[in-house]
Amino acid sequence: MVGNRPIKFRILELCNGGKWNYEIVEQIQKEYGLKGNFQRDSINFDIIELASGGMLKDVEVKVDEEGIYKKGFLLHKYELTDFGKIRAADACLMYV
Amino acid sequence: MDLKALKKQEHQKRVKYGYMWALFCAVLWGLWYIPGTTVWVLNPFDEMYGEIAAGSGDGVALIIVAVLITAFNALTVIVALAVWNGVLGKFGEMKRTVKEFHPCSKWFFMASIFGGPMAILGSFIAMGFVGGAFAAVAALMYPVVGSVLAQKWYGEKISKRAYLGIAFIILGGITIFGGGLITELGSGNVAWIGYLGGLMAAAGWGIEGAIAGKGLDIAEPDVGLTLRFLGENIIWWIIIVPILAIVGFPMFKYAFMAFEPLTLMVLVFAGITFGFCYVSWYKSFPLIGVGRGQGIGNLYGLFAVIFIFLFFGDVPAWTILLGGALCLAGSSIMFSEDTGEMESLRGD
Repeated sequence: MVGNRPIKFRILELCNGGKWNYEIVEQIQKEYGLKGNFQRDSINFDIIELASGGMLKDVEVKVDEEGIYKKGFLLHKYELTDFGKIRAADACLMYV
Repeated sequence: MDLKALKKQEHQKRVKYGYMWALFCAVLWGLWYIPGTTVWVLNPFDEMYGEIAAGSGDGVALIIVAVLITAFNALTVIVALAVWNGVLGKFGEMKRTVKEFHPCSKWFFMASIFGGPMAILGSFIAMGFVGGAFAAVAALMYPVVGSVLAQKWYGEKISKRAYLGIAFIILGGITIFGGGLITELGSGNVAWIGYLGGLMAAAGWGIEGAIAGKGLDIAEPDVGLTLRFLGENIIWWIIIVPILAIVGFPMFKYAFMAFEPLTLMVLVFAGITFGFCYVSWYKSFPLIGVGRGQGIGNLYGLFAVIFIFLFFGDVPAWTILLGGALCLAGSSIMFSEDTGEMESLRGD
């Protein structure tokens, strides 16, 4: 059952334990078969939208020194907020 | 650069993009009133108006014609959006989203009820009965509805400064709205149904924004918006237009006549401006919040007045200029807000 629900649902699911944005993007690209930089940025924008919507919060930030994602830019580690858990539960995702 | 500075820079960039999208929305939305006003005098709509008015009176004729125009508007918008989603490669995501009816697409279909038969129909009625400039500024009140609903319903934060900006915008709207009304009251001939259309637009768009925000939380804006217009097309073309045809209005006769070059071009212009104004509108919400997105989008009132002046040469009354200035002031107040301390737009 991979890659058949809306991308943002899956992002919420992945962030339950806390995850770095480049890890999320990589996994989503793989699961949904989305290739290329445009899709990569598009997925990252989904994460940003979820964060500014208050469903994710960044718990850790570091500068991308080695260019894992984009060199010189920030990498964010996200975790689900309480509000995010409620919204995820509305979307029938499994959380305690 | 240290981490803190980078973080601040990134946040500011995000907010800047949100405001940029909202401003795009305002320009496109303002442009929409050009085809929206023009289409009324084009055939088959002009002819249709004449035929229905002869049998059922002016008021009924206007509403029925407005329904057909709004239905065509929805149709050209969805064509524009289909192209947009095709280019972005989002049809797969659309399929995934539409299947999630309960948590997600339900909200977009609900938003289409308030956005379509309430807000857009109301706007066309106001354009037909009172005029484009009026229709544009009458709807300026919608951020009040939107902001209050968003705050009460899902606890979106609205800062004191944003309240002040919204207050200015509303004051501007009232000045423009009241100015036209007082002039008409003086002449003893008030097109009440047109003013009702203006109110429908304001309330409809405010409610739509707040409802759509609920589904947008967890969906792609481009996809959500297309579903919202899919809903509107269903409402018009599968429910309302056939019902009106069964009741005896010549809906399909004139619908088929709309496929002539000039009319079609104007309708497509309406579809493109309106479709992309919605794209930008929805994109701004997750970045700066429904209240602020709507507040900046509100500059469309001013743009509409300017465009109508440029295209039709209608010189606006002083009340419109004063009101427009107030709207601009209000939006600037919201614009200059320091969002640094606002990490998230919502409370936990």
